[in-house]
Amino acid sequence: MVIRKKKKRKGFINPSRRAFLKIMGSAAVGAGISELFSQCIWLNDSVAALLACEGYLLVDTKKCQGCMSCMLACSLVHEGKIGLSQARIQVIQSSFEKFPDDLTIAQCRQCEDPECVKACPSGALHVDRQNGNVRKIDVKKCIGCKACIRACPFVPSRALWSHEDSHALKCDLCVDSPFWNYKGGPEGRQACVEICPLKAIQFTRKMPEQKGDAGYQVNLRGEDWRKLGYPTD
Amino acid sequence: MGSAVFWDLVKDKTIGGFDPRNIVTIMTSPLSGTLVPGASSRTEVQGIGVQSSPIEWFTRSNFGGRFAPMLKYAGWDGIVIEGKADKPVWVDIRNGKVEIRDARHLWGLDTWKTQQEIWKEIGNPEQSTAQRPAVLTIGPAGENLGRVACLIHDAGNASGQGGFGGVWGSKNLKAISVIGTGSIGIADPKGLMGARLWAQEKYAADLNKLDASWYGRFGRKRPQLLFWATHGKARLQACIGCQSGCKERSDTGYGNESTCEETAFYVGYDKWKHGGKQTSATYIAADLLQKYGINAFEASRGLAYILALQRSGVLGYGKKINCALDFRQLGEIEFVDRYLNMISNRKGIGDDFAEGFFRAAKRWGRLEEDLKTGILPYSYWGLPEHGYDPRAEVEWGYGSILGDRDINEHDFNFLYTWPSGAIWAGKTPQPPAEQVVKIVAEKLVPYENDPLMLDFSTDNIYSEHMCKLVAWHRHYTRFWKESVLYCDHRWPEFINSKVPGYRGITGEGEPRFFNAVTGKKLSFLDGMELGRKIWNLDNAIWTLQGRHREMVHFSDYIYNLPYKGYGNFTMYYLPGREQGRWDYIRVNGRCLDRAKFEEFKTQFYKLEGWDTQSGWPKRKTLESLGMRSVADELENHKKLGT
Repeated sequence: MVIRKKKKRKGFINPSRRAFLKIMGSAAVGAGISELFSQCIWLNDSVAALLACEGYLLVDTKKCQGCMSCMLACSLVHEGKIGLSQARIQVIQSSFEKFPDDLTIAQCRQCEDPECVKACPSGALHVDRQNGNVRKIDVKKCIGCKACIRACPFVPSRALWSHEDSHALKCDLCVDSPFWNYKGGPEGRQACVEICPLKAIQFTRKMPEQKGDAGYQVNLRGEDWRKLGYPTD
Repeated sequence: MGSAVFWDLVKDKTIGGFDPRNIVTIMTSPLSGTLVPGASSRTEVQGIGVQSSPIEWFTRSNFGGRFAPMLKYAGWDGIVIEGKADKPVWVDIRNGKVEIRDARHLWGLDTWKTQQEIWKEIGNPEQSTAQRPAVLTIGPAGENLGRVACLIHDAGNASGQGGFGGVWGSKNLKAISVIGTGSIGIADPKGLMGARLWAQEKYAADLNKLDASWYGRFGRKRPQLLFWATHGKARLQACIGCQSGCKERSDTGYGNESTCEETAFYVGYDKWKHGGKQTSATYIAADLLQKYGINAFEASRGLAYILALQRSGVLGYGKKINCALDFRQLGEIEFVDRYLNMISNRKGIGDDFAEGFFRAAKRWGRLEEDLKTGILPYSYWGLPEHGYDPRAEVEWGYGSILGDRDINEHDFNFLYTWPSGAIWAGKTPQPPAEQVVKIVAEKLVPYENDPLMLDFSTDNIYSEHMCKLVAWHRHYTRFWKESVLYCDHRWPEFINSKVPGYRGITGEGEPRFFNAVTGKKLSFLDGMELGRKIWNLDNAIWTLQGRHREMVHFSDYIYNLPYKGYGNFTMYYLPGREQGRWDYIRVNGRCLDRAKFEEFKTQFYKLEGWDTQSGWPKRKTLESLGMRSVADELENHKKLGT
């Protein structure tokens, strides 16, 4: 086993305190290890950290009207085709449940400590340092093992499986969206944010609280929402 | 598409709706499941219905939600239901795999329980999809062959008119479930995203910045289409792909996803019973309509009708028309549950109710009398009127009687609701009638720039101009709304106050979205011509079913009783000319002139290229539309117009 060691670098911002990859010899195996290290900053000779993503999606599940336009737009700008299973953001709802438990939004959290990235044996799922450290899949490298889907600690998994193209899918904040008229990624625009008719999805550069869901939920309902007759609490 | 499939597959067009040889088509559109607002979600249902009279017309209905999108994601453009199963079945579609399964354990369940049972049974068949199957089902009303029975999808999406719930029941079909993990190819993805953002930005209301002066149809300021007091704690809820949710889901779970008529159904009785205060009975009544799977208009107009009979002493416990309902409980949950349960399960006099109240009146020997007095407000084809009374808003009535059903197409209702609302509030309607008429007339391609098409004064409602308005409406809806499936709540939009000059999205929006998805270069006019073709094919089907111009007339009260107004429709203002000047004129107080309506029919048939003696299609017209084989078939049956 070959472990690359690098000197501690300077100049990287916001290294995660928790997202340490401790180089313990047996901790990292597989073809993707060299790829993984190239995405790290080194805190000392044996401890590396994945760079934090520079953008996150926050959602207001009480404001969402369940039209799934975000899902359709996501699929469209990435794939040039539309399907719910091609969407990197999932709105899951039941007509028969009571508000607000009738609907949840499962967006990728661009985790500080991304289990999906660490689980990927081929380096397909990586931290894209050219694009704000988005946790992104290079589909050409995806070997279809679904390790990322299994590794994601959230339900449903934020890494999804493309039944049509047999590779994993995951939100890249529209970095790789050939059918989007705008630049994507943390420096650009995200299709789901732009398309949402109610503005129930928000982009932020500030890392949300990683523990639990609360950090990724936001109240985007203002005075006009109350005038419309809906709760703002 | 459903009309063409029906034409090809049903050889004997004279069969009834319950005949196993009848088919039901469940069709998507090229825009289903895409980002096209108001068109993504709709599913079109066609076949011979069982609700209309004297003939069970070949008819149509459609509903929203997510059924058609899921069908497309599973790789299917539509479903044709033929024949009849020996025992109750449901259809399980998982992408390309289709299985007809035993539904005996589902038979008897209401529509909500049925869907949840199927969800449980299917689980997560494609593993990594987080989505639930879309299920279309009947309730007990359909199982018991109710002519007023609907197809229900999710909590509140209903295919109501036609009684297709009963048709499914006759075929022993309980439900169709579909889950798909595929996708729909888009010819111009960037163009579609651009069109959606353009439409949203330019025409839709921004609910985060409410503007009191805003109005339009594409994205209304207050998008809810609810006639009850809205819940304090709820979310706005939209069909898939729509920018403008019109429904709600509440913290009580009552009234989830109901909209329009079912939200008006019981609210008046509820308030009357409870000192002017609305209770949960209003919401629960709507839920019961959905769960039993009953047409809200039939239940609503029917309840008003039997109440009138009860108050006149004709109907009630031990009366000439024996009815076990305790009318002292009207307004309570117990009453509405009993009433709808009777319809659903054909209990007692419910056996008459389930036939529809037109047929019920006939059974009771009251039909002729009650259509004369108008206490049975069934204007056309044995179907309940909609509130847009043929005597007031004539294009609605004309379109219905020249077609097969209550049209339920609200394209021109804003010409009444907006000025009437302003006048009720003591304001001057804006924009003025002449300006509104000019803008709308510009968009009425291919009859554009004839403002007299929108003159609802009594002198003009039988004119050739009104013929053109009705023809435009038939052709527009047949293609753009019933084939491409633009939603009736949002399309067409003629007027929009957000746009300088008030010009709405219609004319530009329909083909722009269509072409972005399909890659075709279809113009708005091309679509209108295709609509005319479908309308002609439908008339050919009705002709073979037995239609003749002699039966194309309204119920007697439309000709005999001046229109007083009804419920929310009391003060009815529409654009029209008085002494040569345009204004919003009051149209209450008039009835239709029988002879003049007959003249109107003759002019309309001429405009359509149909035989003026019979109303049947002519060979020349059909051949000009590329339907020679249809003309041949009519000729074989000696029903070709001359």
